[in-house]
Amino acid sequence: MVRAYKQEHVYRHPWDRVTAASWRKFTDSPAVLSHVTDVHTLARRLDPGGGILRATRSITVRSPQLPFLLSRLIGQDSVLCHCVESTVVDAQARSMEIVIRNGSLRNLIEVEERSRYNPHPADPDRWTMFQQETSIRCRPLSALTAIAEKVEQRCAERFLQNSAKGREVIERICKYLEADSSSTSAAAGREKVPEPEGEDEIEAAHDQDKSPRCPLRRKKKNMASESVTTIVAGGVGGGEPH
Amino acid sequence: MGAKARSYASPCAQLRAAYHDCFNRWYSEKFSKGQWDKEECVEEWEKYRACLAQHLEDKHLRRLLVEADAGLNKNDSSHSTDSNKAAGE
Repeated sequence: MVRAYKQEHVYRHPWDRVTAASWRKFTDSPAVLSHVTDVHTLARRLDPGGGILRATRSITVRSPQLPFLLSRLIGQDSVLCHCVESTVVDAQARSMEIVIRNGSLRNLIEVEERSRYNPHPADPDRWTMFQQETSIRCRPLSALTAIAEKVEQRCAERFLQNSAKGREVIERICKYLEADSSSTSAAAGREKVPEPEGEDEIEAAHDQDKSPRCPLRRKKKNMASESVTTIVAGGVGGGEPH
Repeated sequence: MGAKARSYASPCAQLRAAYHDCFNRWYSEKFSKGQWDKEECVEEWEKYRACLAQHLEDKHLRRLLVEADAGLNKNDSSHSTDSNKAAGE
């Protein structure tokens, strides 16, 4: 039972700036990404020979308000969920890959968000291509686990809802990083910026199966002016009965 | 900044801010621009990491901390850096 969502975005900023902004995404804009309550770097490792940096962070997310019955059962209006973010940056190849997974209740639901930042092929020194795939895998449920699953679902929903906001945050951080760098060094030759081709392509999401209880059955388009997210859910067969 | 204000409850908030500031500067100014031969912010990292090891109360986070260490120290084959493929699409 897998649901998958894909999205792409083109940043009109160079790779080094966009990836620097990505590191700051959860820590520099608390007001916008208010669902993120805490971020810690848990581990890091640099391979100085190859220019490869690895880091693991924890991201604590507050779920949206839980459904009434559930909040009565648990005794809280919302819950905290922990996600684990693993990042690998290859400075030589100019690639950054970020994988975020839920850290709790993994035996019930697995949410994985895989993002990449690479120089855009049309203008590798000035633009950055962002590609993201999110998959949600629900396990077959018993009556007991259904409750726990709903909790994690809520967190996953929150996470995806904030994807578009995340891109806006990165655009904004890029702007101030740009302002910083142009105040210290002359930013020459940036005035003429051609339009990128093939921007904001929609990648059809695939869906291998369905579970009636899997979250996020909806379509979203034009969440941000420059980005398109297609979420296709549903499909046939194989899941459990209603 | 708001992030700091929100995290005052955490005893490691200041050490974390010091480390993240240092890291962000190093990443922007050096690592991402090709100077990756020298690891920086080591002192900030060690202080912050020691604080986490001591003060992280949430049992889930503690488990994640242990797993994170193990994950980065074993030989990593789970991550691919096939940037050419991604960039070419």
